[in-house]
Amino acid sequence: MSADASDLSLVRRVQRGDKGAFDALVLKYQHKLVKLVMRYVRNPAEAEDIAQEAFIKAYRALPQFRGDSAFYTWLYRIAINTAKNAVVSRDRSPIEYDLDRSSDESYDMQGRMKDSETPEGLVLTDEIRSTVNAAIDALPEDLRTAIVLRELEGLSYEEIAAAMDCPVGTVRSRIFRAREAIDKRLREVFEGGLGRAEELG
Amino acid sequence: MNEELDSQLSAMFDDELPHEECELLARRLSRDEVLKARWGRYAVVGAVIRAERGVRLNAPLAGRVNAAIRAEPALDREAVPVRAAAGGMRWWQPVAGGALAAGVAAASVLWLRAQVPLTTVPLTAQRGAPPVAAPVLAAAVGDGSYITPRAPRAQPLVVPSTQLANYVVAHSMVSSPVARRNLLSAFISSDAAGAADAVKTQAQGNAK
Repeated sequence: MSADASDLSLVRRVQRGDKGAFDALVLKYQHKLVKLVMRYVRNPAEAEDIAQEAFIKAYRALPQFRGDSAFYTWLYRIAINTAKNAVVSRDRSPIEYDLDRSSDESYDMQGRMKDSETPEGLVLTDEIRSTVNAAIDALPEDLRTAIVLRELEGLSYEEIAAAMDCPVGTVRSRIFRAREAIDKRLREVFEGGLGRAEELG
Repeated sequence: MNEELDSQLSAMFDDELPHEECELLARRLSRDEVLKARWGRYAVVGAVIRAERGVRLNAPLAGRVNAAIRAEPALDREAVPVRAAAGGMRWWQPVAGGALAAGVAAASVLWLRAQVPLTTVPLTAQRGAPPVAAPVLAAAVGDGSYITPRAPRAQPLVVPSTQLANYVVAHSMVSSPVARRNLLSAFISSDAAGAADAVKTQAQGNAK
């Protein structure tokens, strides 16, 4: 087993022309990337725009990625540079930036309202959060510990096995069952929530 | 949905799946929208546990990136080195190439010259027996000019013959005259294999 093997498998597929594999990388890292960019900009919508730009830059630069570093390290570097450039560009021309925003206000507002700064969008985000938290609270202790150690502390399966004094295979099974339990409840919210979002659009 | 597949997906999400299984699952993941949606929800679970503030869990970011990537040309990794080569060679590359070629040529000359004394000594000890690579070596020694060895196959024959000749000279005092004659005959016929057999026979005879 090698670290970053799953990302590398997806990256190799993208490099061979499989765009679908890039979707999986975006789905995996979009939240982390937005959180990272939020260190530079406060507006979530702007952070998403920058994250989007970073993903597209990464896609275009992917032929040059040789796997010397982990994919997410490489992606994060691109995102940080993109965020810094965006901030510098905005600071250098604040008037132009403001004018652009005001001149294109109707379009901009439509776009922002469609995204998720609408009350309904925020409610949906909150609903997702509360559903996941409730599902985690309802988990048996061993499953909850395993998933939290993995997601919050970032421990490897081997480290979790040592901490919980159980085989690595048991850790894998516990994390999987925890995810299954949370996903079962989350799916209902997502499906309902996305339906509502479409109605709003 | 297959439970084993879901278990693999969860392990792959954590970078804990063996490489070979990752390859197969990555292929399926890139095409299976249901699996991809589940993969995306795993990321949401992680974001909630980490309490990533400011992150909108229902943001359409992935969809927007997907739409933008669809408009992009598909990547082709094989084309990259070609583009890089066509993009322009660095100034030092031709110089380095020439220097390398000159270095290899110089090393070849030195090596060949170093080989000449080793091969001529035992061969001159057997006057009358034409050596295997005699024409090439004679020309190289005779007029002092450098001749590129054109037949690489001739080279291996020189080395074993030389070694065998040294062997004969070194053991001439203890070997029987008949065996020695057989061995020299093998040299004359340039049959390295036969010579080797003769040496083996001689060694066995001496042992008796």
